[in-house]
Amino acid sequence: MTMLLLVAMLLSPVVAGAESSDDFFDSRTLHDVRLYIHSEDLRQLRERYLEDIYYPADFEWRGIRMRNVGVRVRGLATRSATKPGLRIDFNRYVGQQTFLGMASLVLDNALKDPSMIRERTSMAFIKRMGQPAPRESFGRVYINGAYEGLYALVEAVDSTFLARELGDGLGYLFEHKFVDGFYAGDLGDDLGPYKLRFDAETHRLEGDYTLYSPIRELFREANREVDAVWRERVGWFIDLDQLVTHVAIETFLAEFDGFLGGSGMANFYLYRPVAGNVHRLIAWDRDTTFQEIDAEIFARVEDNALFRRALMFPELRMLYLDVLEQCARAAAQDRWLEVELLQMHQLVREAVREDTGRLYSDEDYEAAIRHLLSFAQRRPAFVIDQVAKAR
Amino acid sequence: MCPWCSQRTAAKFEHGRRVVVTHVPAILLAVLILASAVRADAQHPSLTAGDWLRVDFRARFQGDVRRSEAPMARDDSRLDIARRRLGVEGRVGRVFAYQVEYELGSNEWRDVYLDYRQFRAVQVKAGAFKLPFGLDENTSSTSLDFIYRARISSRLAPGRDRGVAVHGRVLANAVTYEAGVFGHDGDNARPSNSTRVFGGRTVATRVVAHPFRSSESPFASLQVGGALSSTNVPLGFPAVRARTVFGVSFYDSDVWVEGRRQRTGLEARWRPGRASLQSEYIRLTDERRGQSVEDGDLSPLTAHGWYVSGTYALTGKRHRLGIVELAARYETLSFGSSGSNGEASTSARADVVLGNTDRATTLGASWSVNQWVKVQANVVREDIRRPSMGPMPGRGAFWSRAFRLQLTI
Repeated sequence: MTMLLLVAMLLSPVVAGAESSDDFFDSRTLHDVRLYIHSEDLRQLRERYLEDIYYPADFEWRGIRMRNVGVRVRGLATRSATKPGLRIDFNRYVGQQTFLGMASLVLDNALKDPSMIRERTSMAFIKRMGQPAPRESFGRVYINGAYEGLYALVEAVDSTFLARELGDGLGYLFEHKFVDGFYAGDLGDDLGPYKLRFDAETHRLEGDYTLYSPIRELFREANREVDAVWRERVGWFIDLDQLVTHVAIETFLAEFDGFLGGSGMANFYLYRPVAGNVHRLIAWDRDTTFQEIDAEIFARVEDNALFRRALMFPELRMLYLDVLEQCARAAAQDRWLEVELLQMHQLVREAVREDTGRLYSDEDYEAAIRHLLSFAQRRPAFVIDQVAKAR
Repeated sequence: MCPWCSQRTAAKFEHGRRVVVTHVPAILLAVLILASAVRADAQHPSLTAGDWLRVDFRARFQGDVRRSEAPMARDDSRLDIARRRLGVEGRVGRVFAYQVEYELGSNEWRDVYLDYRQFRAVQVKAGAFKLPFGLDENTSSTSLDFIYRARISSRLAPGRDRGVAVHGRVLANAVTYEAGVFGHDGDNARPSNSTRVFGGRTVATRVVAHPFRSSESPFASLQVGGALSSTNVPLGFPAVRARTVFGVSFYDSDVWVEGRRQRTGLEARWRPGRASLQSEYIRLTDERRGQSVEDGDLSPLTAHGWYVSGTYALTGKRHRLGIVELAARYETLSFGSSGSNGEASTSARADVVLGNTDRATTLGASWSVNQWVKVQANVVREDIRRPSMGPMPGRGAFWSRAFRLQLTI
């Protein structure tokens, strides 16, 4: 017996060491994630959930225990004391500490989504369309042994993510922060308004001019009169083809809170390589997708100063329509989107029912799932029809 | 690298050099004039009333000039009158001694106590005075070999507090002891920042033995001793923090503690002829009961350090120039924890605390012109183990210097 225990102990680190981040983001598995937070810190975290205060914690998954990680509440509209969305920084208190190669991780509380599967399914679809998107899976999160609820486990967009997805993690990464209704207008010469809206995630110690002047130039150029050189000049600061592709995917998914958000631009990262000034978009936070099945493909385009002008160019408009059609066909092919939604529903159903921190009832959940399945069945045909009319 | 060759700090030192060039010769001249005017055997001003009362009047004025390549807690590049103390001491009758001292600069009482001394073996002191802990800490500032006490004395030893102590000499004066109960664990551990915690009721004891006191051997002056103190600290971040010689943080002790605080000290001093050798070790531990992320206990937070110092008097006590003495000291001060479970971390609830260490070498010279006037100069080389936590994040080692003029009545 002692011998068996010894062998088990010797093997356990080997098993733990064999796990990879792909295993953690295996979305066919419902994971169990455990956090240990001192009772007083947890009380503070819930009481001061509107503040970005880090608390020390231990993080555990499949027997791998990461000690002294930093945990803080995250989110904007989804901030909650009952079921807080959390950001985990593994290297907050231990320099260079990573979990399966990751420096950070997001535990998304999916509070605004009664189905709780929009976020993960959307990101999977974006990846299917060849665009970079964070890997995601689902996890039952326990804090100090008590079930906190079902969370989306979301890979952080950081240097590690960029290196894997783009082959370059050394550049300038900015998270767009929602301040007010910003529709890609020219905010003037001062870099301050841009700094307010674009939070530098890398190169933080560099000066504002280095960080923000290319962003200022992007929006300055985007707001000039459309002429023969507009596309070339704006193209110095943003990859217009990638922008159009990004927005087309959002449009297919009927995203209400994305680049063409109803309240202004929202939920994206801007990335700019060290060499050059050309930015690109990276999708973030997709829990308000799958809205109206018959959402117009040009909805809110006119509101956005940059995108409105971009679509005045026939090649970019054609690209937009092409990507929309590709999205529709990719979603419908072998009922990919419907099957994906069904699988996720089967995976999380019980965990959702046990989740007492969610804002919605079981009936809301079932209704949301029915809507999603209907969306998957009907949206592709609607979009293909709209594209055909627009051509 | 030579201490003065950094381009970045050259300007700072140029200013310091000007200060020293302009101030120090003038001060020294004033010192010589003052010293020559005073008789070498002059006494403190005092009042007596027969056999039952004696009042000695004391005053001490101390001015410092300090320069450092690193930032300092206070910028004393000009002559700063750091201490202005007035006091009285003496006796009432044959059995009571007393002392009252007030610091004009900070407007605070220092030593205020009454000492019942009827029996040599058992004497009782009550009031505000230094806890019996530490050799350097319990040496009068007028008798220090260096401008600043070793950091284990000024940071880890308790310092002064209100309390009652029993003390005396036993075994033919071969052993002295002191043991007392105090309201808190001393002003060295008290926070300037009110959110930090310090000890409550404190018990402290110190025993010093002079094993060869009655012998004629060179070891007659040897003394060895030990001290212990114990108290409890409430929940919070401790006020005991790591500071460089000139008071800048190199570790902030932002760690939750709660439970017993214990200090342990060892000391030794030997004064053969004109030379002296002194060494001390102090360790302070704070329990962290219920402070792990699972509300369990963590390994204690520890702070410890030691020093060894030596002096040599170039002139004898009767020399017409007074006493000129050279001194050197090497000291370390470390903060961390005794945990070994996992990687070191800056988390407030880490079992293995990522602390820091400062090593300092001090070279000094002092000139006691007479019993009233003393001039000291020190050069200090400090080396911070983790520079990112220290006063110069990009650089671990730096030089500092200090000059002090002390007038005592």
